Amino acid sequence: MNDQDSLPVLVVGAGVSGITAALEAAETGASVVLVERQPYVGGRVAGFYHYFPKMCPPSCGLEINVQRLERNPRVRVLTETRVSAAEQVDGGWRVTLERAPAYVTEACTGCGECSKVCPVSVVDEFNHGMSSSPAIRLSHPQAWPQRFVIERAACADGCEACVQSCAYDAIHLDATVTTEELQVGSVVLATGWQPYPLEKLSELGGGVLPDVISNVQMERLASPSGPTAGQILCPSTGQPPRRVAFVQCAGSRDVNHLPYCSGICCLASLKHAQYVKDQHPDTEVSIFYIDRRTPGRNEDVLTRIGDMDGVRLVKGKVGKVEAGDGGLVLTVEDVEAGRKLHEQADLVVLATGMVPTGNGESPFGIARDEDGFALDDFDRGLVVAGVARRPTDVAAAVRDATGSAARALAAAERGA
Amino acid sequence: MEHVGVFLCSGCGIGDALDLEAVASAAEDSGGALCHTHPCLCAEEGIALVRESLSSGEADGLVIAACSQRVKCKAFSFDSATPVQRVGLREQVTWSHPPNDEDTQMLAEDLVRMGVARVLKSKPPVRQEEEIADTVLVVGGGLTGLEAAAAAAGLGKPVVLLEKEAELGGHLAGIGELAPAGPPYDQLHENPVSNLIEQVRSNSRIRVLTSAVLRGISGQPGQFKVEVAAGGGDETFMAGAIVQATGARPYDAHRLAHLGYGEQADVITSAELDAMLEAGSLTRPSNGETPQRVAFVQCAGSRDAEHLLYCSGECCATTLRQAARLRRDYPDVEPCVVYRDIRMPGQQERFYLAVQEEGGTLLMRGEVDGVGGNGNGRLAVHLRESLLGDDARLEADLVVLAVGMVPNSADGEAIRALHDAQQRVEHGESETQREEARKVAERLAAHEGTEILHLGYRQGPDLPVLQYGFPDSHYICFPYETRRTGIYSAGALRAPMDPAQAVEDAWGAALKAVQCIEAARRGEAVHPRSGDLGAPDFFLQRCTQCKRCTEECPFGTLNEDEKGTPQLNVLRCRRCGICMGACPERIISFPDYSVDAVASMIKAIEVPEEEDEKPRIVALMCENDALPALDAAARLGRTWSPWIRIVPVRCLGSVNIVWIADSLSRGVDGVILVGCKYGDDAQCHYIRGSELASKRLENVQETLDRLALEPERIKLVELAHNEFDRVPTILDEFAAEIEEMDPNPYKGF
Amino acid sequence: MATVPLIAPSEDFRRELRRRGGERASRCYQCATCSAVCELAPEGRPFPRRQVLLAQWGQGDQLATDPAVWLCHQCNDCTVRCPRDVRPGDLMQVVRAMVIERLAAPAFLGRLVANVRSTWPVVLGAPLLLWVLLLGLTGHLGVPPGFHAYDQLVPHWLIYSVFFPVAAFVLWAAWVSGRRFWTLLGSVGPPRKGSFLASLVPVFGEISTHGRFSNCEAGRPRRWGHLALLWGFVGAAVTSGLLVVALYGFGAQLPLPLDHPFKILGNISAVLLVVGGVILLINRLGDPQKTGASTAFDRFFLTVVLLVIATGVLAEVGRFFFPAAVACSIYIVHLSVVLTLFVTFPYSKFAHMLYRTLAMVHERMTG
Repeated sequence: MNDQDSLPVLVVGAGVSGITAALEAAETGASVVLVERQPYVGGRVAGFYHYFPKMCPPSCGLEINVQRLERNPRVRVLTETRVSAAEQVDGGWRVTLERAPAYVTEACTGCGECSKVCPVSVVDEFNHGMSSSPAIRLSHPQAWPQRFVIERAACADGCEACVQSCAYDAIHLDATVTTEELQVGSVVLATGWQPYPLEKLSELGGGVLPDVISNVQMERLASPSGPTAGQILCPSTGQPPRRVAFVQCAGSRDVNHLPYCSGICCLASLKHAQYVKDQHPDTEVSIFYIDRRTPGRNEDVLTRIGDMDGVRLVKGKVGKVEAGDGGLVLTVEDVEAGRKLHEQADLVVLATGMVPTGNGESPFGIARDEDGFALDDFDRGLVVAGVARRPTDVAAAVRDATGSAARALAAAERGA
Repeated sequence: MEHVGVFLCSGCGIGDALDLEAVASAAEDSGGALCHTHPCLCAEEGIALVRESLSSGEADGLVIAACSQRVKCKAFSFDSATPVQRVGLREQVTWSHPPNDEDTQMLAEDLVRMGVARVLKSKPPVRQEEEIADTVLVVGGGLTGLEAAAAAAGLGKPVVLLEKEAELGGHLAGIGELAPAGPPYDQLHENPVSNLIEQVRSNSRIRVLTSAVLRGISGQPGQFKVEVAAGGGDETFMAGAIVQATGARPYDAHRLAHLGYGEQADVITSAELDAMLEAGSLTRPSNGETPQRVAFVQCAGSRDAEHLLYCSGECCATTLRQAARLRRDYPDVEPCVVYRDIRMPGQQERFYLAVQEEGGTLLMRGEVDGVGGNGNGRLAVHLRESLLGDDARLEADLVVLAVGMVPNSADGEAIRALHDAQQRVEHGESETQREEARKVAERLAAHEGTEILHLGYRQGPDLPVLQYGFPDSHYICFPYETRRTGIYSAGALRAPMDPAQAVEDAWGAALKAVQCIEAARRGEAVHPRSGDLGAPDFFLQRCTQCKRCTEECPFGTLNEDEKGTPQLNVLRCRRCGICMGACPERIISFPDYSVDAVASMIKAIEVPEEEDEKPRIVALMCENDALPALDAAARLGRTWSPWIRIVPVRCLGSVNIVWIADSLSRGVDGVILVGCKYGDDAQCHYIRGSELASKRLENVQETLDRLALEPERIKLVELAHNEFDRVPTILDEFAAEIEEMDPNPYKGF
Repeated sequence: MATVPLIAPSEDFRRELRRRGGERASRCYQCATCSAVCELAPEGRPFPRRQVLLAQWGQGDQLATDPAVWLCHQCNDCTVRCPRDVRPGDLMQVVRAMVIERLAAPAFLGRLVANVRSTWPVVLGAPLLLWVLLLGLTGHLGVPPGFHAYDQLVPHWLIYSVFFPVAAFVLWAAWVSGRRFWTLLGSVGPPRKGSFLASLVPVFGEISTHGRFSNCEAGRPRRWGHLALLWGFVGAAVTSGLLVVALYGFGAQLPLPLDHPFKILGNISAVLLVVGGVILLINRLGDPQKTGASTAFDRFFLTVVLLVIATGVLAEVGRFFFPAAVACSIYIVHLSVVLTLFVTFPYSKFAHMLYRTLAMVHERMTG
């Protein structure tokens, strides 16, 4: 369908939705440019341990997708790149891509010598600040592209240890930002989401109490590549928790925070309950909810995990999380019992919601709803994919991204 | 290939840890036509060296002994006619084993020998040139089908849309307004179906056949032959791919007698309420009066061990939509909703709030025990309410059961099993066999005559279903991977979903259909080995009609003739190699992956004499999950036993038992298979490859008995992609178990 | 099945709730954040989540018998945190007003005050008219010659002949309403134990410090306003009592000199009332999320209190600094708003003193 002359489809964001949109369009025959701000593809799910309901690792699907990217000559992947300007032109868009300085070039073989000699340690954002890493490193062990990345601002003055260690002349500390202009037929925005900031939930101990963590941090704690090599431990003590409490709708369905439901947190917490039970079978898990939102076949997750010994679901939203003697204390009404609980826990997981990335800043002038989720603009050749459109789980995001690839191709076909 | 060019990379520390000259001579001794070493093979200069050998004709196949086959793929891809075998010296040897060590050196030499052996047995793929039909067939003219037809047409394809009813629109057809699907998400919005029908009807690329009966579909993607009866005549046409969008229907409310349906005249279903609302006559069926209080019972027959276990995912929105409609059209009516959980995910929460804010709709959380008469002409909903903690009774004039949705699917595999059983009842060899068959036929009797697609497939006339009758994908990451290539289910048929999701789903399925047609035209496989040109080859002269391949192919690729000989439909093939693993006669091969090629790799391993006390272990590892995990372990500096020789396989399902027999008979001390997790939540990319492998291993016991070897010499381990911390341990533990045993007595034979 | 309670949503109650500004109850999705964050809610019977649901469903009977409605101090911790912006604190206030009206004796006065948004001219005007009429009839309307004290304007006997019957009436009305309420409270829930008085004493202790307020976050500033008003009113009442004793027991002459202990006590009370009134007024004008929305019913009560304070202070000061006609007019207005405050006590927000005290005693007696 897309012959050689057709303009490429630009896909912005290489999370699971963006990768899907890019690959599905490319495998249909279109040429695709996939840009990603981060140095690696995979987005949020790259940091996740398991998907519900199958409890399978996201890296498994990413592996297939990365191999598809590696082998498909029609997709060009640009990491550490953002769209800095866009202008609507006849038959599509002219976009300016701004590429971060290529301190580490494609000549990098991924040998890792630079990391060994780097004298600077930085906070590891991939692990949500729960660990540190050398300033030059691979973002995570299964990162793709397998190219090292440097946090240049953290470098000591005049330090060139990494440059000297590199046998392949892949490190250039004087690299600068480069730009590239490109004409594309249509655009898929798959800019994904950010976790709602823990700090905004101080009444629930977020950002205040070290053993109050977010659900995305829980994913890292459980991951073999995470800060604890996959051990679920209380950050303050390094000990396994004996009681874990999950606070649902932490900042979601809440006019003071996010008015919408993030759609995934109930299932995520049930999944996390299983992480905990798999590692620490005797640990007590409590999940405090407003409504148990496990639609479709995912009801099975609720049935399976909710019925586990030592897993308790309590109707009632947690009002307060405070430090108490020997742990944390959650205050909540057990609605079904009609009484107030002061629940003890060693580890509290706030089921924080999803905030659409880049609300208010789009070179394409994309329209957004009140919550910042982007809206398709088919006539202008702009389509939205995944969580950029609506808070959903991975399966729905991938489904939507596939459809978005179709709409992008249809828009380009019409525009051409 | 005849001229294998071997290229060794000495970069990334490989050259420091190994005697590459010795590796090079091992490569040449094992049949490599040439061998070059380069300090950074992936750099331009190194690549040029490789290209030079190809263009000069010195080499027609390549062994790249550098880093893992998973990295630098674009750098090391040349042309599709040149088989390339990557040997992961970096990950599998130098990162994970002590440098300049005898055992490490032997490992590297073996791996390169194995690479050479495999390329010597590889052939370039033969590009398939077939005539490909462009038409997308859409089955079902409801919202999903209409949208899919519009989408495929929008992608430039001709479309035939089949609808069995006389009118398009499906079960949403008569409904005026739906729950909001767009901002501000707080009010009812117009049902898109009627506009869509007009759009589809006026689209010149779309042919609509209503009152159509699908008689049969045969062939393969790009070449489906579709037989239809419509408009009084039969017709046959070719289609390239199919979207099945046959939708869902409400659960049979007559099974919900405890909720009063069929017993109390004033108990109706959501669909019946919709009909009343559209007809403008909201009345109590019992007396024709306008009801004052309308009670909605959520999860009627859903999330229920005795009915539907799943949540239909749209009933909450439907009920709130109807409540909003009631409040607007009948301001005196008081809708009361009894729910267990209000499920309005995403921005739908705004609609929930809007309905509550209007103030006229009351919601109560609880479990409904029953609905009956209240003795005063009204109904009583008996509930255990869970907000105040009481048993309670709610009086109502009309009770609406929010019943769940059941997919309009047919279980292709069950139908096939039923037909097979019926055959055996007629022609079974023994009375016991006939009796068994009778039982099976009885159990599956409900599937009689349920065919929808009428596929001419050996494995059944319809898509296989996953769970609860949904022909959904088994994969979270790949929602369109139904098990019949080129046939995609979409909408409420595929999984419980609301109209807004169904519209998105229709576009996705349409894209996959178009993509499949394009891939067929290019002669490529589709997901997950998209782009693979290497089709399987069946050497049918040696076929014994054992039917293992036709039964085990997860994608229904193979049909059978009357004798049971497999008939290949290459465009259905996904290149997993499960047929190759199944075949006892070893007659199935791919150009670059065959029983012979892997057997040659195993033969290329140098097995030291018994007195050397260097056991050898063959590890057959799935290249999708186990091998990446091993790579990650190596990157993290993990080490494992140097006795192990890794053979990457496409899927454990492609492992032919003969490889194990070959290994053991050559003196290899143990064989370990590492593949994806199987069972209900299988992670195998080919559905059940590792499960099949584990079944086949049961049959290996026979071989072991024959060879008088311990059964513990063979092991299958399930491993997930991210279990890189576990994989070295698995290998080391197996190596330790093998060391415990006596050496394989067949060494040196 | 007849024993199973019928949930009968009362549309009348719901309409009335909406009319009085409780319409946000319908937004509630029963997450129970409100009950969790409420520091005053007892462990075993948390509020106000349950009460919001009852209000949503129009369960007026249940709300009338529910002590929790009165244990709420509208500190608005719940309102600040409510994810649906239901404003449960304000809702409880509306419910309290509805219960006051429901239990009022005689009922028409309850209705009159409940509908103060439209009836305020009557509620404020009738007492003024009464005073003007009485003064006119007794020939006291006009600036007394040689004016130096207000008893020249309004003789004590006239004050007594108005306020004593009014006080008796108010006591009767409070007694009837209080009894009704006490019976309703006792009709559901666990049986009471112990004596009324034994529980009343500690409740008074608690009220004297308004200790419960100190648990609240959002409503903390209001504690001091309430406390100042409480003690201001107590001081004013005590001063009045002492004054009567001084006048008739010891033949004291009015006006008392400024350094007289009673005068000092009275002035301290006045200062407390001014301070309390100003705190509450400022608070009302602040963030409505934290302070609670004002309904006409609330505003009326605060207005009367502020008018009493303002006219009282102005009358005292005016005697020295204002023209006699102005001072006398202020004094008449003062007497009339005091009368309004008195008469409306069992029907206005003032009645919370009665109901909340009873509810707190009931709470103690039911453990």
